Amino acid sequence: MVISEEARAAIDGEIARYPRKRGALLPALHLVQKELGHLSPEATREVAEIFELRPVEVMEVISFYNMFHARAGGRHHVYVCTNLPCSLRGARGLLKSLEAHLGIEAGETTSDGRITLDHEECLGACGYAPMLRVDETYHEDLDEARAKEILDALE
Amino acid sequence: MLTVPHTTNYLTEHFGDDAFTTLEGYRARGGYEAAKKAISEMSPADVIELVKDSGLQGRGGAGFSAGMKWSFMPTDGDQPSYLVCNADESEPGSYKDRILLERGGHQMLEGILIAAWATQADTTFIYVRGEYAFPADQLDRCVREAYDAGLLGENIFGKGFKHDVVVHRGAGAYICGEETGLLESLEGKKGQPRKKPPFPAQFGAFGMPTTVNNVETFSHVPHIVKNGADWFKGFGTEKSPGTMIFGVSGHVVRPGLYELPMGTPLDEIVFEHAQGVPEGRKVKGVIPGGMSMPILPAGMLDVPMANESLRERKTMLGTGGVMVMDERTCMVRAACVITYFFRDESCGQCTQCREGTGWLNKIVERIERGAGSEGDIELLLDVCGKMEAKTICAFADAAAWPVQGLLRHFREDFEEHVRQKKCPFPESFEL
Amino acid sequence: MAKITVDGTEYETQEGRTILQALDELGILMNGVDIPHYCWHPKLSIDGSCRLCQVEIEGVPKLQIACNTPIKDGMEIRTQTAPVKEAREGVMELLLVNHPLDCPICDQAGECKLQDYAFEYGVEHSRSREPRRAGKKNVDFGPTITFDQERCILCRRCVRFCREVPGTGEIGVFGRGDHSALETFPGLELDNPYSMNVADICPVGALTTKDFRFKIRVWFLEDVPGICTGCSKGCNVWLGTANNKVYRYVPRRNDAVNETWVCDDGRMSYRHIGSADRLDRAMVRGELGVLEVTSVDDAVAAASERLRALVDAKGPGVVGAVASGHGTNEDLEAFVRLLDGLGVENRGLATVQGESDELLVQAEKAANGEGARKLGFGDAAGVLDRLNTGGLEALVVMGHDLLDAQHLGGIEGLERLDTLIVLDSHHSALERVAHVVLPARHAAEKAGHFTNHEGIVQAVAPAVEPAGEAVPEAEAFDRLAAALGVAGEDAA
Ligand SMILES: Cc1cc2nc3c(=O)[nH]c(=O)nc-3n(C[C@H](O)[C@H](O)[C@H](O)COP(=O)(O)O)c2cc1C
Ligand code: SF4
Ligand code: SF4
Ligand code: SF4
Ligand code: FES
Repeated sequence: MVISEEARAAIDGEIARYPRKRGALLPALHLVQKELGHLSPEATREVAEIFELRPVEVMEVISFYNMFHARAGGRHHVYVCTNLPCSLRGARGLLKSLEAHLGIEAGETTSDGRITLDHEECLGACGYAPMLRVDETYHEDLDEARAKEILDALE
Repeated sequence: MLTVPHTTNYLTEHFGDDAFTTLEGYRARGGYEAAKKAISEMSPADVIELVKDSGLQGRGGAGFSAGMKWSFMPTDGDQPSYLVCNADESEPGSYKDRILLERGGHQMLEGILIAAWATQADTTFIYVRGEYAFPADQLDRCVREAYDAGLLGENIFGKGFKHDVVVHRGAGAYICGEETGLLESLEGKKGQPRKKPPFPAQFGAFGMPTTVNNVETFSHVPHIVKNGADWFKGFGTEKSPGTMIFGVSGHVVRPGLYELPMGTPLDEIVFEHAQGVPEGRKVKGVIPGGMSMPILPAGMLDVPMANESLRERKTMLGTGGVMVMDERTCMVRAACVITYFFRDESCGQCTQCREGTGWLNKIVERIERGAGSEGDIELLLDVCGKMEAKTICAFADAAAWPVQGLLRHFREDFEEHVRQKKCPFPESFEL
Repeated sequence: MAKITVDGTEYETQEGRTILQALDELGILMNGVDIPHYCWHPKLSIDGSCRLCQVEIEGVPKLQIACNTPIKDGMEIRTQTAPVKEAREGVMELLLVNHPLDCPICDQAGECKLQDYAFEYGVEHSRSREPRRAGKKNVDFGPTITFDQERCILCRRCVRFCREVPGTGEIGVFGRGDHSALETFPGLELDNPYSMNVADICPVGALTTKDFRFKIRVWFLEDVPGICTGCSKGCNVWLGTANNKVYRYVPRRNDAVNETWVCDDGRMSYRHIGSADRLDRAMVRGELGVLEVTSVDDAVAAASERLRALVDAKGPGVVGAVASGHGTNEDLEAFVRLLDGLGVENRGLATVQGESDELLVQAEKAANGEGARKLGFGDAAGVLDRLNTGGLEALVVMGHDLLDAQHLGGIEGLERLDTLIVLDSHHSALERVAHVVLPARHAAEKAGHFTNHEGIVQAVAPAVEPAGEAVPEAEAFDRLAAALGVAGEDAA
């Protein structure tokens, strides 16, 4: 078992909120991912078991959503929105400079496992561009210097 | 941090005030009085009539009458019925729902409560896009406060009315904003829109009758109940009453959210409220209502922001996300970003959408690289035509419209790329 | 009842159907009324995603998909107008944007709906000059099926089939948009008793059976209707034949029997038709005590002599008969005539019982056990009891199912018989103790009827030439009866 008892209890709590069990699948995947960092085949199997689904159905769901990761990434996920409103305000330049700063390309993880950097579609910060999403937190109205500071402060 | 620049109006009036985000502060400003009035003094049918009469249009993009939609809900039937609040806001250029969640959680909940009374719904599911962790946390807190105060749950206002609210977090997929994609996702599936029939009013969330409305749509409702339909119609245009929160982004001095009457001219929004393009540069084009909506060139901005007038210019109000591009902007690059987005976000069911979005993106990227050829522009238009009005949901249309708009008004940008075999806009934003 | 008009012709249909369902029920879909479709399949849930089946409906502004639009009384449907054709061409061209068009090396060529429709609807390739999406080739999906991602048009028929028919659901669509692709979960491959049906319903060459891959180009095959003889379901199949050989079975639709499916075991049973262990010559045990190949005539004569001598000496009570569920009703009727003529009453039926499921597979592993029972052949137990207690001196046996553990379990007990006459299509241990062996035809080699477990009578006709000198059992029995002088008028 890779999913802890605590997470299982939390999943049960989520299930109770929905008219049908499966409604709690996305919340459950969020919980498991939070605990394990990513959704491995073993974790996926266990989630499938909890929800009485086939593993392939859970895998389909995982693969559909940007926020679920089937493979392990860094300790922190950093996203730069590169959609039009952000690009108009220099987001792609910012992404490139962060790539150079971390020595990786978008989609990759630093060798110390600290940061996975990627671009993202519109995150709803269009008026405060460019921006970064660092794990669950938005950082907005950035310039390069401030963005690098934020990354450097990550453990 | 979030700031709400400028114009106070009824939705955002108190958004600068931290207390307003709490139940106590909200009640101190008359909060939940409208819900109390609706539930204790009005019949569900009265509420629907009132909202119909107010002319409130959905603020999620399609602009359908909210009161009408509520009236489609079956009132007999012993099965439960549901409301869904669409807080998936992912249309590029749109970020108004986020502030309505962060700063106006109780206002929206009150609107939901009134709508629930009107439709006699059992539960409301609020589908918040997964990335909106902070707004969802705020909302969770508001919901807890409302339960604790007896404003949700059993016997609300002592009238025997019961209503539950479930905050559901998405996981990152634009298509979950489409109402049936949302329902699938809410049920724990891939967010692939459903074919219709059946329609959500008969077979919606978990198979039950369901009405979906946008965050902002719900947020207007308490004000309508409090002040009446005529008051509401005092804002905006005859066909498009009320205010709307316009989110301005791109090449402007003061990007931000502006709550303004519907029908406010686009040029007023761009040049007065957002103070125009920095450094004295000129505007090249403006997308008026989120990325799905066709662009307007600088010469066509003297248009009221309401569907009836925007349609005459072959575009639409959408989510009211106003994206401004200055004179340096390469519209082929804009097309690259736009088509990439739709290619990435198509749910992939329908042939035209799955294959069309990818094809459009590949063609415009090739043109941008300088490898375009004569027939490419016609081909782009032809592919758009193949995608339009033929798919399960309106996503494919939404992917075709902006390309059509760019070609309608900025065809020469594309032609110039083909002629020069390179991008002729060295000053444009970086790709 | 609802009246609909399709391209000017009026039809009566049932309410509660979608347009495609109604046309399918009327038997006119793609058979008078052309509405090309990929994702819709008559036996699977409606998907509505390929968007190819669009039609025009009077009074409705946009084109509608015929697969999901419910019939209404008075509905006027047009399937061949300019907007409809344009929409179809649109879908076809878009499907071809990323399609490899490697028809010359594709196993599906000749029965590919992409190739067919592309040709028929005038879009033979797309105008795309962009690099095609690269996909995985030759993906091993499981023991029976190979997947080619580049050819897949994502109609999801296979996905729905696995979820809805065998209920195993091994396949899923991962990802979204133009980067979505079929996959199985790591370690859980496509492996169920009906897996190979996905190759039949796949409209393109994305899913192919490992068994049939590259064996022969389909256009060399002639499809002959027949019946699977693997169990008492009697699934309807097409026998793919060429060079007097059966290369495959594929399901033939029969809504009353097998809908559009067959089980994998049944499908693979075509291999028994031309197999190396076919019994294709008559044999008679000679003076040296070994079976010697001879003509059918001589074998019939030898059998007749032995039976005549025995019946004359001891009466028909020492003769037993074991019928097989592999014979046709005609074969079994001839057997009855022979036995009646001789006065043999010890009759029984031996079939093999095996696994069954809810869907198609029946426990009785023979196509015509029911036909035999209807003709009075009860369980073989009575005959075998008599054999074991020494009451029988001769036995006439069809097939070799009585060797199964559920019956004799071997040839012991048969050794002391004075006369053992065997009619069989395949070699078996019976030959070690038989005195006369007559080669019988396989169901694919003869005309006749089978009665399935529900009493549905189905005809078969020869699809290939018989193996060697094999004769229909009916003919063998009739000739034997004639030689014995017990043939009735009609049989002779
Ligand atoms: C591709 C697509 C994306 C959509 N995204 C959203 C969204 O993020 N938020 C939203 O409220 N409506 C969105 N909609 C509109 C919804 O389908 C639906 O019309 C709306 O939520 C209804 O609410 P309203 O009537 O209050 O506007 C989207 C529609 C489409 C076709
Ligand atoms: S139009 Fe596109 S997004 Fe909508 S259902 Fe079809 S494939 Fe999915
Ligand atoms: S493999 Fe065949 S049946 Fe399955 S989705 Fe692809 S094209 Fe359709
Ligand atoms: S179910 Fe029986 S008859 Fe049908 S294919 Fe399988 S073995 Fe043959
Ligand atoms: S057959 Fe109707 S949409 Fe595919």
